[in-house]
Amino acid sequence: MSILSDIPVLSILLLLPVLGLLVLLLIPKNRHRAITAVAVVATLLPIVLSLWLYTDFDKQQGGATYREDAVWLEVPVNHEWTQEADIIFSFDYSLGIDGLSLPLLLLTTVVTAMAALAAIHVKKRRKAFYAWFLLLEAGMLGVFMARDLFLFFIFFEITLVAAYFLIGIWGYYNRERTANQFLIYNGIGSALMLIAFVLLVNTAGFRMEETARGLEMIYSGSYADILRNLADPNAWVNLPGAAAGGTNPFEMSGGMAWTIFVLLLIGFGIKLPIFPFHTWMLKVHAEAPPAVVMIHSGILLKMGAYGFIRFGLLLFPEQAREWAVALATLGLINLLYGAVLAFRQTEFKLVLAYSSISHMGIVLLGLAAFNEIGLQGAIVQLVSHGFISALLFLIVGSLYERTGTTELPALGGLARSMPFMSGMLLAAGLASLGLPGLSGFVGELLSLLGLFESMRWVTAAAVLGIILTAAYMLRSVLGITFGERREEHAALRDARFVEALPMIVLLAFIVLLGCYPSVLTDTVGVSVEGFMDQLFATRSGG
Amino acid sequence: MDFYTKSAWVIPLIPLAAFLALTALGRNYRKAGVIIGTFAALASFAMSVLVLVERFGQDAVDYNYSFDWIRISGYTLEIGFEVTNLTALMLIVVTFVALLVNVYSAGYMKNDERITVFYGYISLFTFSMLGLVLSDNMLSLYIFWELVGVCSFLLVGFWYTKPAAKAAAKKAFIVTRIGDAALLIGILLLFWYMPDHALGFTMIESVFEGQGGIIATGITTVIALLIFLGAVGKSGQFPLHVWLPDAMEGPTPISALIHAATMVAAGVYLLARTFPIFEASLFASDVVAYVGGFTALFAATIALAQNDLKRVLAYSTISQLGYMFMAIGLGSWTGGIFHLFTHAFFKALLFLAAGSVIHAVHTQNIQEMGGLHARMRITTATFAVGALALAGIPPLAGFWSKDAIMAVALEQNLFLFAVGLAAALCTALYMTRVFVLVFLGKPKTGSEGGLESPTVRAGGAGGAKESPRTMTLPLVVLALAAIAAGFVETPWNGWLGGWLSGEEAVAHVSPAAIIGSIAVAAAGIYLGWRFYGSDRTRPAVVKEAAPWLARLLERKYYVDEAYEFVFVRGLRALGTLLGAFDTYIIGGLVKLAGSAAGISGKMALRLQNGSIGTYSLAAVIGMVVLAAAIIGRRLLS
Amino acid sequence: MLPSYLTLAAILFCIGLYGALAKRNAIIVLLSLELMLNAVNLNLIAFSKYGVVPSLTGQIFSVFTITVAAAEAAVAVAVLIALFRARGTVDVEHMNAMRR
Repeated sequence: MSILSDIPVLSILLLLPVLGLLVLLLIPKNRHRAITAVAVVATLLPIVLSLWLYTDFDKQQGGATYREDAVWLEVPVNHEWTQEADIIFSFDYSLGIDGLSLPLLLLTTVVTAMAALAAIHVKKRRKAFYAWFLLLEAGMLGVFMARDLFLFFIFFEITLVAAYFLIGIWGYYNRERTANQFLIYNGIGSALMLIAFVLLVNTAGFRMEETARGLEMIYSGSYADILRNLADPNAWVNLPGAAAGGTNPFEMSGGMAWTIFVLLLIGFGIKLPIFPFHTWMLKVHAEAPPAVVMIHSGILLKMGAYGFIRFGLLLFPEQAREWAVALATLGLINLLYGAVLAFRQTEFKLVLAYSSISHMGIVLLGLAAFNEIGLQGAIVQLVSHGFISALLFLIVGSLYERTGTTELPALGGLARSMPFMSGMLLAAGLASLGLPGLSGFVGELLSLLGLFESMRWVTAAAVLGIILTAAYMLRSVLGITFGERREEHAALRDARFVEALPMIVLLAFIVLLGCYPSVLTDTVGVSVEGFMDQLFATRSGG
Repeated sequence: MDFYTKSAWVIPLIPLAAFLALTALGRNYRKAGVIIGTFAALASFAMSVLVLVERFGQDAVDYNYSFDWIRISGYTLEIGFEVTNLTALMLIVVTFVALLVNVYSAGYMKNDERITVFYGYISLFTFSMLGLVLSDNMLSLYIFWELVGVCSFLLVGFWYTKPAAKAAAKKAFIVTRIGDAALLIGILLLFWYMPDHALGFTMIESVFEGQGGIIATGITTVIALLIFLGAVGKSGQFPLHVWLPDAMEGPTPISALIHAATMVAAGVYLLARTFPIFEASLFASDVVAYVGGFTALFAATIALAQNDLKRVLAYSTISQLGYMFMAIGLGSWTGGIFHLFTHAFFKALLFLAAGSVIHAVHTQNIQEMGGLHARMRITTATFAVGALALAGIPPLAGFWSKDAIMAVALEQNLFLFAVGLAAALCTALYMTRVFVLVFLGKPKTGSEGGLESPTVRAGGAGGAKESPRTMTLPLVVLALAAIAAGFVETPWNGWLGGWLSGEEAVAHVSPAAIIGSIAVAAAGIYLGWRFYGSDRTRPAVVKEAAPWLARLLERKYYVDEAYEFVFVRGLRALGTLLGAFDTYIIGGLVKLAGSAAGISGKMALRLQNGSIGTYSLAAVIGMVVLAAAIIGRRLLS
Repeated sequence: MLPSYLTLAAILFCIGLYGALAKRNAIIVLLSLELMLNAVNLNLIAFSKYGVVPSLTGQIFSVFTITVAAAEAAVAVAVLIALFRARGTVDVEHMNAMRR
């Protein structure tokens, strides 16, 4: 038992950034130092907490202690099915963590703190920037902790709004257009997601409870209820008042399951992004301020994958398995299409944007493998790409600050004046192209290893993508750092300590994951171990 | 008794610690690089010697230890190390050459401002290479396989301001990555087909050896070919050889360490470790043998026409590696390893001597050199030893190891024997050419361009001076090794082969092979002397007689151009095509969706014209429709 | 008796509707609105007397309508006068300032 088990750790974690936000609002807006200090501290504290959670979770092998449930709103409704029980609709505040969300939680806190440090480049309206920034962090933490569909949706929307303003106000030249496009695309995704959630709650989100008022049938967005009801549709068949011997009214029809699955696939696919829904994400990469892109590419994209795994894959494994080939094809397209296009970009940020598409392809491939190795690979790839792309954009931000450009033809030979940053860039590039010893390799290896069991030729084609990744990554990284020094870059200074620190921290995580991946896979394994087998066993048995 | 064997994992960690220390120190401590790097290499070498001594003991057993790297319900990926006679031998080779290169670089890189970084990279490479050698399974081997690749990349691009170095580094990484990708697929195949998903070499041996049928022949062949493709990339065999000559843009000590003695030989080592797989597939063995033989001859012919000193040596390396693959393909992996062993010494020697020359004359073009023998006696003498060893003159090391291969070839495959002889002829010929052009004759002055190190500038060949002690000492040591190393296995005494394979040592005297090799080598040297030594007009005659041939060789059979045309441009064209697709089709669809919304909005706007009359008319029409609908429904039902 | 009242009311309503839609003078439009309101009043009273469940409610309702209509007419005419002072016209076609 842990000493923290009685304290609502998750809520505290969620509220820390909000607290920081409130403090921030009290500070006059011209006190730049105080604002930065408060914001950075407010992002650093969650790291401590999430690290603590991470280690404690491992010790407990499950972390079931970390659940917080509270009823938020209860609405009685009419329902024609049974007269025996009162029917109540309940909106819950329900947080929880498991091996799938915990690594992403840690990723979120670390990357956000590093991005907060990187945001010292922001000059205009710093207070407002950090205010939105902290709100964004709270939203992201909420997304990964929420165990209620509607709560998840609310947090998901909070991130959307916060990111919208961060892009729209502090972005580069084309910021407003980009922010609007971001909002519209993701709004469509959210709408589809909401429809899917409503359908889910309506068909599977109920439980029976004996309360002081008598037997109650409670409809809510509780993930646990939905998971159980979907896995075992006969759980409630012997209800009092149910028509005996008739068809089970709770059994979800195949058509309904498919509808929800496809809605979720598209909804989260836009966020991921899956080809051909990727165009908005290119613009965001190119136009948003670097600190925001760190978060966007490092965490926000992961929310799409996380949502798809949690709601698409784990709730509808049969549908997903039937579409495994399609998923693998999509993944392969993402991987190769992104890689080939990354090869021809002349703007470094766009290279990285297409590279993100390419790497998300590997996540899809891992998921399509439909075994535990592949799933683990996909999750490792998520976390690893989070760190790597955050590091890359951190460097890009510092580079842009000095050179005023990220166009490859205008850069070159920077290793001479900035050896440290060039070294970091090279290390990040190597991590991105999957060098063993750095985290990118583990994700790729496990994903491909898993996929190979079921789809050999797809895997072979995917390995081709690894070669292409090397080609475009080296082309752009060497284009920036190697070569003759240019006159206009002669006087540039290398990274300051505040800039160097987050780079070192991120690289340390990348190296740790690359050298000792068990630190991640064991945690994920606690929750995912045997998950799929179990799921299939119960379903085929029932 | 086996204390050192059990703690062999320390050997790679020493250079790793050196790398970390040097990286942390930064570039300001110039002396630190030399001291830390060299002592780390020395410590590793000492440990390796102790391990080797233990391996000579009568009761030496293979030792391996591994830990779980990743555990996923039922599957385990392990990382571990294993000490066998073969790994012990490789440890010696790697640490020995690394140590000498460390010493040598203290002189060669003296004036480079990034000398600390250089030593850091070398230490990192040494770590990776030792890790590769010690690996006990395919996965950890692959990890270190990639790491040595990246070290090679870093060191080839060490002088990063030179565009040629940048291009060469990139090419080295990407071309070898093609092979690596194949190797990765091979490992994936192995993982899913091996019993218990084991990847350890011991398991591979027991599965593939003898008891056939566990893994189907077709799959075995595929696995073997994929592994071989990985080796082809790393060891610069045709058709993935193109990166190795370009890699000569790196500092010369690097060429000696990585691109002659150790890393490029990793392919041979890999095949030796997974030899049972090749034994189980006749077809794969044949492919290995023929690719090796072809590369041996192919690269040797190219070497004939190159004018860059280091490139000649690079092609020579490719050619010699071809011999090693030929040996393995013909079923004698010990022969391949033997040649690897001797080749490491004399090729490292040749490169270091070449570096000494380049250091003195500041050019790599052999046409601009000459007459160095008077000014650089030690370099000349040691280079001569290396050249003779390479050409295969007894009793130098190269003769014995090449003879071992030729003897096998004579037994197994006459055609490959002939190919080997032809390649040996070319080898002797081009080495004579290089030696004559560089060291004999009269000095040519006024050489410009082709400067290797931008930091040093001095006169041409005329003003050359012998290199400092730190550089000549390794030369002498290596020369001694190049003379003596061959005696571990002679036709009358198959000690090395027996020790490596653990079987009874067999003598394989083959007079035909011996006589053939010697005769061909002698003929090559004689021809070379006639061509380049006594009468220097002869090369021009050949050029006139067959200009296309000379051109073909000079341009390296146009392989680079073909690749450029097919792959680089192909990829670029595909990129442009997909780029257009992305912009116009996908972007167009997005725009279409956007403008559809816009247009429908405009249409709706038209209704809102501000005239109350229109609004109320619309309201009335709506009401009438509603009424009609309600009444109609009543009437119908 | 009921149909004749209803017919009369319908005729009155249609006349009012026509005037409200077709006339351009705002005063005429107002008058037409009054006509329509009174048609409704007529209906209410007719139903309260001759409907299925006769009651006083309909007549009370029509009294309310008349009061509201008076207030409405007063406000509308006031607005029209103000508009006429500002614009110099009471043509409904010109009253489209809220467009866009």
